[in-house]
Amino acid sequence: MDLERVRGKSLLTLPRVHVGQMIGLLEVLEDFKGRVDAAKVADDLILELDDLLPAVDAAELLGFLKVESGDLILTEEGRQFLAKGASGRKKFLNEHIMKLSAFKAIVDFLRSHKNHEVTREELLEFLRKEMSDEDAESAIPWIVEWGRYSLILHYDSNNGKLKILRTPK
Amino acid sequence: MPQLIELRRVTKAFGSLERPTVVLEDINMSVHEREFVSVVGPSGCGKSTLLRLIIGLTEPTDGEVYYRGRRVQGICEGMAMVFQTFALFPWLTVAENVELGIHGKQLSKDERRMRVLKILELMGLHGFEDAYPRELSGGMKQRVGLARALISDPEVLLMDEPFSSLDPLTATHLREEVLDLWLDPKVAPEAVIMVTHNVEEAVYMADRVVVLTSRPGRIARDIQLNMPRPRDPRSNEIYRLVDEITGIIA
Repeated sequence: MDLERVRGKSLLTLPRVHVGQMIGLLEVLEDFKGRVDAAKVADDLILELDDLLPAVDAAELLGFLKVESGDLILTEEGRQFLAKGASGRKKFLNEHIMKLSAFKAIVDFLRSHKNHEVTREELLEFLRKEMSDEDAESAIPWIVEWGRYSLILHYDSNNGKLKILRTPK
Repeated sequence: MPQLIELRRVTKAFGSLERPTVVLEDINMSVHEREFVSVVGPSGCGKSTLLRLIIGLTEPTDGEVYYRGRRVQGICEGMAMVFQTFALFPWLTVAENVELGIHGKQLSKDERRMRVLKILELMGLHGFEDAYPRELSGGMKQRVGLARALISDPEVLLMDEPFSSLDPLTATHLREEVLDLWLDPKVAPEAVIMVTHNVEEAVYMADRVVVLTSRPGRIARDIQLNMPRPRDPRSNEIYRLVDEITGIIA
Protein backbone atom coordinates (compact mmCIF):
# COMPACT_ATOMS: atom_id res chain seq x y z
CA MET A 1 0.00 0.00 0.00
CA ASP A 2 2.92 2.35 -0.13
CA LEU A 3 4.42 4.02 -3.11
CA GLU A 4 7.59 1.94 -3.30
CA ARG A 5 6.46 0.10 -6.36
CA VAL A 6 5.81 3.28 -8.30
CA ARG A 7 9.22 4.78 -7.61
CA GLY A 8 11.02 5.65 -10.77
CA LYS A 9 7.64 6.40 -12.21
CA SER A 10 7.01 9.23 -9.86
CA LEU A 11 3.55 10.23 -8.84
CA LEU A 12 4.33 13.43 -10.68
CA THR A 13 3.27 11.51 -13.74
CA LEU A 14 -0.35 12.36 -13.15
CA PRO A 15 -2.28 14.44 -15.66
CA ARG A 16 -1.80 18.05 -14.61
CA VAL A 17 -4.17 19.76 -17.00
CA HIS A 18 -7.94 20.11 -17.16
CA VAL A 19 -9.71 17.18 -18.80
CA GLY A 20 -11.37 19.54 -21.31
CA GLN A 21 -7.99 20.93 -22.35
CA MET A 22 -6.64 17.49 -23.13
CA ILE A 23 -9.76 16.63 -25.11
CA GLY A 24 -9.47 19.96 -26.94
CA LEU A 25 -5.93 19.09 -27.99
CA LEU A 26 -7.05 15.69 -29.29
CA GLU A 27 -9.82 17.38 -31.28
CA VAL A 28 -7.33 19.79 -32.83
CA LEU A 29 -5.14 16.82 -33.78
CA GLU A 30 -8.11 15.16 -35.40
CA ASP A 31 -8.72 18.34 -37.43
CA PHE A 32 -5.14 18.07 -38.64
CA LYS A 33 -5.86 14.49 -39.80
CA GLY A 34 -4.12 12.98 -36.80
CA ARG A 35 -0.58 14.27 -37.26
CA VAL A 36 0.83 17.78 -36.94
CA ASP A 37 3.88 19.65 -35.73
CA ALA A 38 3.45 20.73 -32.09
CA ALA A 39 4.71 24.23 -32.87
CA LYS A 40 2.07 24.53 -35.61
CA VAL A 41 -0.70 23.67 -33.12
CA ALA A 42 0.59 26.24 -30.64
CA ASP A 43 0.82 28.82 -33.39
CA ASP A 44 -2.66 28.02 -34.65
CA LEU A 45 -4.21 28.39 -31.19
CA ILE A 46 -2.10 31.47 -30.39
CA LEU A 47 -0.52 29.66 -27.45
CA GLU A 48 3.06 29.32 -26.31
CA LEU A 49 4.41 25.82 -26.86
CA ASP A 50 4.93 25.59 -23.08
CA ASP A 51 1.21 26.14 -22.54
CA LEU A 52 0.45 23.18 -24.74
CA LEU A 53 2.77 20.75 -22.98
CA PRO A 54 0.61 19.79 -19.97
CA ALA A 55 -2.13 18.69 -22.38
CA VAL A 56 0.41 16.82 -24.54
CA ASP A 57 1.86 15.10 -21.45
CA ALA A 58 -1.57 14.03 -20.18
CA ALA A 59 -2.66 12.66 -23.56
CA GLU A 60 0.66 10.83 -24.00
CA LEU A 61 0.46 9.40 -20.48
CA LEU A 62 -2.97 7.96 -21.27
CA GLY A 63 -1.82 6.60 -24.64
CA PHE A 64 -4.03 8.93 -26.69
CA LEU A 65 -1.15 10.54 -28.56
CA LYS A 66 2.49 9.93 -29.41
CA VAL A 67 5.25 12.47 -29.86
CA GLU A 68 7.64 11.80 -32.73
CA SER A 69 10.33 14.27 -33.84
CA GLY A 70 8.27 17.29 -32.86
CA ASP A 71 5.03 15.93 -34.34
CA LEU A 72 1.98 15.08 -32.29
CA ILE A 73 0.31 11.91 -33.53
CA LEU A 74 -3.18 10.83 -32.53
CA THR A 75 -3.13 7.12 -31.62
CA GLU A 76 -5.86 4.59 -32.35
CA GLU A 77 -6.80 4.77 -28.64
CA GLY A 78 -7.10 8.53 -28.97
CA ARG A 79 -9.39 8.15 -31.97
CA GLN A 80 -11.55 5.63 -30.15
CA PHE A 81 -11.83 7.99 -27.18
CA LEU A 82 -12.92 10.91 -29.41
CA ALA A 83 -15.50 8.78 -31.20
CA LYS A 84 -17.44 8.23 -27.98
CA GLY A 85 -20.16 10.37 -26.41
CA ALA A 86 -20.00 11.97 -22.95
CA SER A 87 -20.71 8.76 -20.98
CA GLY A 88 -18.58 6.59 -23.26
CA ARG A 89 -15.59 8.88 -22.79
CA LYS A 90 -15.92 8.68 -19.01
CA LYS A 91 -15.94 4.89 -19.12
CA PHE A 92 -13.01 4.81 -21.55
CA LEU A 93 -11.03 7.21 -19.40
CA ASN A 94 -11.91 5.24 -16.29
CA GLU A 95 -10.25 2.17 -17.83
CA HIS A 96 -7.22 4.06 -19.10
CA ILE A 97 -6.56 6.10 -16.00
CA MET A 98 -6.52 2.98 -13.87
CA LYS A 99 -3.60 1.75 -15.97
CA LEU A 100 -1.52 4.63 -14.60
CA SER A 101 0.53 3.27 -11.71
CA ALA A 102 0.17 6.54 -9.88
CA PHE A 103 -3.62 6.56 -9.99
CA LYS A 104 -3.76 2.90 -9.11
CA ALA A 105 -1.54 3.54 -6.07
CA ILE A 106 -3.92 6.26 -4.91
CA VAL A 107 -6.96 4.00 -5.35
CA ASP A 108 -5.15 1.20 -3.46
CA PHE A 109 -4.36 3.67 -0.69
CA LEU A 110 -8.04 4.62 -0.41
CA ARG A 111 -9.07 0.99 -0.55
CA SER A 112 -6.88 0.21 2.44
CA HIS A 113 -8.99 2.53 4.57
CA LYS A 114 -12.37 1.98 6.20
CA ASN A 115 -15.22 2.68 3.78
CA HIS A 116 -12.56 3.30 1.12
CA GLU A 117 -12.47 6.86 2.35
CA VAL A 118 -9.65 9.21 3.42
CA THR A 119 -9.41 12.86 4.38
CA ARG A 120 -7.63 15.35 2.20
CA GLU A 121 -4.87 15.52 4.84
CA GLU A 122 -4.38 11.76 4.82
CA LEU A 123 -4.02 11.79 1.04
CA LEU A 124 -1.63 14.72 1.27
CA GLU A 125 0.54 12.84 3.74
CA PHE A 126 0.56 9.82 1.45
CA LEU A 127 1.60 11.93 -1.53
CA ARG A 128 4.34 13.70 0.44
CA LYS A 129 6.21 10.41 0.74
CA GLU A 130 6.75 10.62 -2.97
CA MET A 131 7.01 14.29 -3.81
CA SER A 132 7.67 17.71 -2.39
CA ASP A 133 5.06 19.35 -0.17
CA GLU A 134 4.31 21.84 -2.90
CA ASP A 135 3.86 19.18 -5.58
CA ALA A 136 1.69 17.08 -3.29
CA GLU A 137 -0.55 20.06 -2.53
CA SER A 138 -0.89 20.97 -6.20
CA ALA A 139 -1.57 17.33 -7.21
CA ILE A 140 -4.77 17.06 -5.19
CA PRO A 141 -7.06 19.22 -7.36
CA TRP A 142 -5.90 17.23 -10.43
CA ILE A 143 -6.55 13.90 -8.70
CA VAL A 144 -10.01 15.16 -7.73
CA GLU A 145 -10.84 16.47 -11.21
CA TRP A 146 -9.70 13.39 -13.13
CA GLY A 147 -11.13 11.09 -10.46
CA ARG A 148 -14.50 12.80 -10.64
CA TYR A 149 -14.58 12.97 -14.42
CA SER A 150 -13.79 9.28 -14.82
CA LEU A 151 -16.24 8.37 -12.04
CA ILE A 152 -13.55 6.73 -9.91
CA LEU A 153 -13.53 9.13 -6.97
CA HIS A 154 -16.02 11.19 -5.04
CA TYR A 155 -14.80 14.27 -3.19
CA ASP A 156 -16.90 16.21 -0.72
CA SER A 157 -15.33 19.62 -0.27
CA ASN A 158 -17.58 20.32 2.74
CA ASN A 159 -15.84 17.72 4.88
CA GLY A 160 -12.71 17.25 2.73
CA LYS A 161 -13.29 13.51 2.32
CA LEU A 162 -12.27 11.57 -0.73
CA LYS A 163 -13.65 8.12 -1.42
CA ILE A 164 -13.83 5.51 -4.11
CA LEU A 165 -17.03 6.03 -6.06
CA ARG A 166 -17.10 2.60 -7.57
CA THR A 167 -14.50 -0.07 -7.36
CA PRO A 168 -12.64 -0.14 -10.66
CA LYS A 169 -11.46 -3.52 -11.91
CA MET B 1 -38.92 26.54 -41.93
CA PRO B 2 -41.41 28.40 -39.69
CA GLN B 3 -40.32 31.71 -38.29
CA LEU B 4 -39.56 31.81 -34.55
CA ILE B 5 -38.28 35.29 -33.87
CA GLU B 6 -38.74 38.55 -35.70
CA LEU B 7 -37.30 41.98 -34.97
CA ARG B 8 -39.10 44.83 -36.74
CA ARG B 9 -37.32 48.17 -36.99
CA VAL B 10 -35.84 47.74 -33.53
CA THR B 11 -33.88 50.61 -32.04
CA LYS B 12 -32.45 50.64 -28.55
CA ALA B 13 -31.06 53.72 -26.84
CA PHE B 14 -29.81 54.25 -23.32
CA GLY B 15 -29.42 57.45 -21.33
CA SER B 16 -31.67 60.51 -21.21
CA LEU B 17 -34.25 61.50 -23.81
CA GLU B 18 -32.30 64.66 -24.60
CA ARG B 19 -28.95 62.95 -25.02
CA PRO B 20 -29.60 59.30 -25.84
CA THR B 21 -26.84 56.84 -26.69
CA VAL B 22 -28.18 54.79 -29.55
CA VAL B 23 -26.82 51.25 -29.25
CA LEU B 24 -28.85 49.47 -31.94
CA GLU B 25 -30.61 51.14 -34.84
CA ASP B 26 -33.28 49.93 -37.22
CA ILE B 27 -32.65 46.21 -36.80
CA ASN B 28 -34.80 44.01 -39.02
CA MET B 29 -34.10 40.33 -38.80
CA SER B 30 -35.79 37.01 -38.28
CA VAL B 31 -34.72 33.61 -37.02
CA HIS B 32 -36.34 30.39 -38.19
CA GLU B 33 -36.62 26.90 -36.82
CA ARG B 34 -33.48 24.79 -37.23
CA GLU B 35 -31.27 27.84 -37.64
CA PHE B 36 -28.00 28.42 -35.83
CA VAL B 37 -27.39 32.15 -36.17
CA SER B 38 -24.20 33.93 -35.14
CA VAL B 39 -24.14 37.67 -34.54
CA VAL B 40 -20.72 39.28 -34.94
CA GLY B 41 -19.51 42.85 -34.79
CA PRO B 42 -16.97 45.13 -33.16
CA SER B 43 -17.07 45.52 -29.38
CA GLY B 44 -19.72 47.94 -28.20
CA CYS B 45 -21.93 47.41 -31.26
CA GLY B 46 -24.86 46.19 -29.19
CA LYS B 47 -24.52 42.45 -29.77
CA SER B 48 -25.36 41.55 -26.18
CA THR B 49 -28.18 44.09 -26.09
CA LEU B 50 -29.68 42.32 -29.10
CA LEU B 51 -29.89 39.06 -27.14
CA ARG B 52 -31.40 40.87 -24.14
CA LEU B 53 -34.06 42.36 -26.40
CA ILE B 54 -34.90 38.97 -27.91
CA ILE B 55 -35.35 37.24 -24.55
CA GLY B 56 -37.25 40.22 -23.15
CA LEU B 57 -34.77 41.30 -20.47
CA THR B 58 -34.95 44.81 -21.91
CA GLU B 59 -37.48 46.58 -24.16
CA PRO B 60 -36.80 48.27 -27.48
CA THR B 61 -36.92 52.06 -27.50
CA ASP B 62 -38.59 51.80 -30.88
CA GLY B 63 -39.86 48.89 -32.94
CA GLU B 64 -41.04 45.45 -31.83
CA VAL B 65 -39.73 41.98 -31.11
CA TYR B 66 -41.98 38.98 -31.89
CA TYR B 67 -41.66 35.38 -30.76
CA ARG B 68 -43.87 32.94 -32.64
CA GLY B 69 -45.90 35.87 -33.88
CA ARG B 70 -46.58 37.31 -30.42
CA ARG B 71 -45.02 40.52 -29.26
CA VAL B 72 -42.33 40.02 -26.59
CA GLN B 73 -43.29 41.82 -23.40
CA GLY B 74 -41.36 40.62 -20.39
CA ILE B 75 -39.08 37.63 -20.15
CA CYS B 76 -39.82 34.94 -22.72
CA GLU B 77 -40.59 31.46 -21.50
CA GLY B 78 -39.20 29.09 -24.06
CA MET B 79 -35.83 30.79 -24.28
CA ALA B 80 -32.71 30.30 -22.16
CA MET B 81 -29.42 32.13 -22.04
CA VAL B 82 -25.77 31.17 -21.54
CA PHE B 83 -23.41 33.90 -20.34
CA GLN B 84 -19.75 34.63 -20.97
CA THR B 85 -18.91 34.66 -17.27
CA PHE B 86 -21.06 31.58 -16.53
CA ALA B 87 -23.23 33.39 -13.92
CA LEU B 88 -23.21 30.51 -11.42
CA PHE B 89 -24.07 30.86 -7.74
CA PRO B 90 -20.87 30.05 -5.83
CA TRP B 91 -22.70 28.79 -2.75
CA LEU B 92 -24.74 26.25 -4.71
CA THR B 93 -23.47 22.90 -5.97
CA VAL B 94 -23.41 21.96 -9.65
CA ALA B 95 -26.73 20.07 -9.33
CA GLU B 96 -28.35 22.98 -7.47
CA ASN B 97 -27.15 25.53 -10.01
CA VAL B 98 -28.54 23.40 -12.82
CA GLU B 99 -31.88 22.94 -11.05
CA LEU B 100 -32.32 26.73 -11.06
CA GLY B 101 -33.05 26.35 -14.78
CA ILE B 102 -36.42 24.77 -13.89
CA HIS B 103 -37.10 27.00 -10.89
CA GLY B 104 -40.76 27.94 -10.79
CA LYS B 105 -41.87 25.10 -13.06
CA GLN B 106 -44.65 22.89 -11.74
CA LEU B 107 -42.75 19.64 -11.38
CA SER B 108 -42.66 16.96 -8.71
CA LYS B 109 -39.50 16.49 -6.64
CA ASP B 110 -38.79 13.21 -8.43
CA GLU B 111 -39.28 14.76 -11.85
CA ARG B 112 -36.89 17.59 -10.93
CA ARG B 113 -34.26 15.16 -9.71
CA MET B 114 -34.63 13.05 -12.84
CA ARG B 115 -34.27 16.02 -15.18
CA VAL B 116 -31.22 17.29 -13.32
CA LEU B 117 -29.52 13.88 -13.50
CA LYS B 118 -30.38 13.46 -17.17
CA ILE B 119 -28.96 16.82 -18.23
CA LEU B 120 -25.85 16.40 -16.03
CA GLU B 121 -25.16 13.11 -17.75
CA LEU B 122 -25.74 14.59 -21.20
CA MET B 123 -23.34 17.46 -20.47
CA GLY B 124 -20.61 15.17 -19.13
CA LEU B 125 -21.09 16.53 -15.60
CA HIS B 126 -21.88 13.18 -14.03
CA GLY B 127 -19.44 12.85 -11.12
CA PHE B 128 -19.46 16.61 -10.44
CA GLU B 129 -22.98 16.83 -8.95
CA ASP B 130 -21.80 17.87 -5.46
CA ALA B 131 -18.91 20.07 -6.61
CA TYR B 132 -19.01 23.83 -6.10
CA PRO B 133 -18.19 26.21 -8.95
CA ARG B 134 -14.86 27.16 -7.31
CA GLU B 135 -13.71 23.57 -7.73
CA LEU B 136 -14.35 23.57 -11.48
CA SER B 137 -12.31 24.54 -14.51
CA GLY B 138 -13.73 27.26 -16.78
CA GLY B 139 -14.85 24.62 -19.26
CA MET B 140 -16.75 22.70 -16.59
CA LYS B 141 -18.35 25.92 -15.34
CA GLN B 142 -19.63 26.68 -18.81
CA ARG B 143 -20.98 23.13 -19.09
CA VAL B 144 -22.97 23.90 -15.94
CA GLY B 145 -24.18 27.12 -17.61
CA LEU B 146 -25.27 25.12 -20.66
CA ALA B 147 -26.92 22.43 -18.53
CA ARG B 148 -28.87 25.09 -16.60
CA ALA B 149 -30.05 26.58 -19.89
CA LEU B 150 -30.93 23.26 -21.54
CA ILE B 151 -32.72 21.66 -18.58
CA SER B 152 -35.82 23.75 -19.31
CA ASP B 153 -35.92 22.33 -22.84
CA PRO B 154 -35.84 25.79 -24.42
CA GLU B 155 -37.01 26.36 -27.97
CA VAL B 156 -34.36 29.02 -28.44
CA LEU B 157 -30.91 28.94 -26.88
CA LEU B 158 -29.18 32.32 -26.65
CA MET B 159 -25.44 32.34 -26.05
CA ASP B 160 -23.54 35.51 -25.23
CA GLU B 161 -19.82 35.03 -25.98
CA PRO B 162 -20.01 31.53 -24.49
CA PHE B 163 -16.40 30.57 -25.23
CA SER B 164 -14.67 33.93 -24.83
CA SER B 165 -13.41 33.47 -21.30
CA LEU B 166 -12.06 29.98 -21.96
CA ASP B 167 -8.53 29.08 -22.99
CA PRO B 168 -8.15 28.00 -26.65
CA LEU B 169 -8.01 24.24 -25.98
CA THR B 170 -11.07 24.24 -23.73
CA ALA B 171 -12.94 26.48 -26.16
CA THR B 172 -12.15 24.07 -29.02
CA HIS B 173 -13.54 21.19 -27.02
CA LEU B 174 -16.69 22.97 -25.86
CA ARG B 175 -17.52 24.24 -29.36
CA GLU B 176 -17.52 20.63 -30.56
CA GLU B 177 -19.79 19.64 -27.70
CA VAL B 178 -22.26 22.40 -28.53
CA LEU B 179 -22.25 21.37 -32.21
CA ASP B 180 -22.86 17.75 -31.20
CA LEU B 181 -25.87 18.90 -29.16
CA TRP B 182 -27.10 21.00 -32.08
CA LEU B 183 -26.96 17.96 -34.36
CA ASP B 184 -28.74 15.69 -31.89
CA PRO B 185 -32.48 15.94 -32.63
CA LYS B 186 -33.37 14.55 -29.18
CA VAL B 187 -31.88 17.50 -27.30
CA ALA B 188 -31.29 20.33 -29.78
CA PRO B 189 -33.31 23.51 -29.31
CA GLU B 190 -35.27 24.79 -32.32
CA ALA B 191 -32.80 27.60 -32.83
CA VAL B 192 -29.53 28.93 -31.45
CA ILE B 193 -28.45 32.57 -31.50
CA MET B 194 -24.83 33.08 -30.54
CA VAL B 195 -23.16 36.43 -30.08
CA THR B 196 -19.39 36.40 -30.52
CA HIS B 197 -16.55 38.72 -31.43
CA ASN B 198 -14.67 35.71 -32.82
CA VAL B 199 -15.38 35.59 -36.57
CA GLU B 200 -13.73 32.16 -37.06
CA GLU B 201 -15.98 30.74 -34.39
CA ALA B 202 -19.09 32.29 -35.95
CA VAL B 203 -18.31 30.94 -39.42
CA TYR B 204 -17.28 27.51 -38.14
CA MET B 205 -20.45 26.99 -36.11
CA ALA B 206 -23.38 28.84 -37.65
CA ASP B 207 -25.79 28.46 -40.56
CA ARG B 208 -26.06 32.22 -40.87
CA VAL B 209 -23.86 35.10 -39.77
CA VAL B 210 -25.38 38.50 -39.06
CA VAL B 211 -22.71 41.21 -39.16
CA LEU B 212 -23.32 44.41 -37.18
CA THR B 213 -21.62 47.76 -37.74
CA SER B 214 -19.95 49.69 -34.93
CA ARG B 215 -22.20 51.76 -32.67
CA PRO B 216 -24.95 52.36 -33.34
CA GLY B 217 -25.17 48.74 -34.45
CA ARG B 218 -26.95 48.25 -37.75
CA ILE B 219 -27.06 45.12 -39.84
CA ALA B 220 -24.21 45.40 -42.34
CA ARG B 221 -24.64 41.93 -43.85
CA ASP B 222 -26.69 38.81 -43.31
CA ILE B 223 -24.75 35.91 -44.78
CA GLN B 224 -26.22 32.47 -45.34
CA LEU B 225 -23.56 29.76 -45.07
CA ASN B 226 -24.30 26.72 -47.12
CA MET B 227 -21.50 24.55 -45.86
CA PRO B 228 -22.09 20.91 -44.94
CA ARG B 229 -21.16 19.63 -41.48
CA PRO B 230 -18.85 18.53 -40.00
CA ARG B 231 -16.72 21.41 -41.20
CA ASP B 232 -12.99 21.73 -41.34
CA PRO B 233 -12.13 24.87 -39.35
CA ARG B 234 -9.01 25.25 -41.48
CA SER B 235 -10.64 24.94 -44.89
CA ASN B 236 -10.14 27.55 -47.61
CA GLU B 237 -13.85 28.35 -47.67
CA ILE B 238 -13.85 29.20 -43.96
CA TYR B 239 -10.70 31.32 -44.36
CA ARG B 240 -12.31 33.17 -47.28
CA LEU B 241 -15.50 33.95 -45.32
CA VAL B 242 -13.53 35.01 -42.24
CA ASP B 243 -11.54 37.44 -44.39
CA GLU B 244 -14.69 38.78 -46.00
CA ILE B 245 -16.48 39.36 -42.66
CA THR B 246 -13.41 40.78 -40.95
CA GLY B 247 -13.18 43.23 -43.85
CA ILE B 248 -16.75 44.40 -43.19
CA ILE B 249 -16.17 44.88 -39.46
CA ALA B 250 -12.77 46.56 -39.73
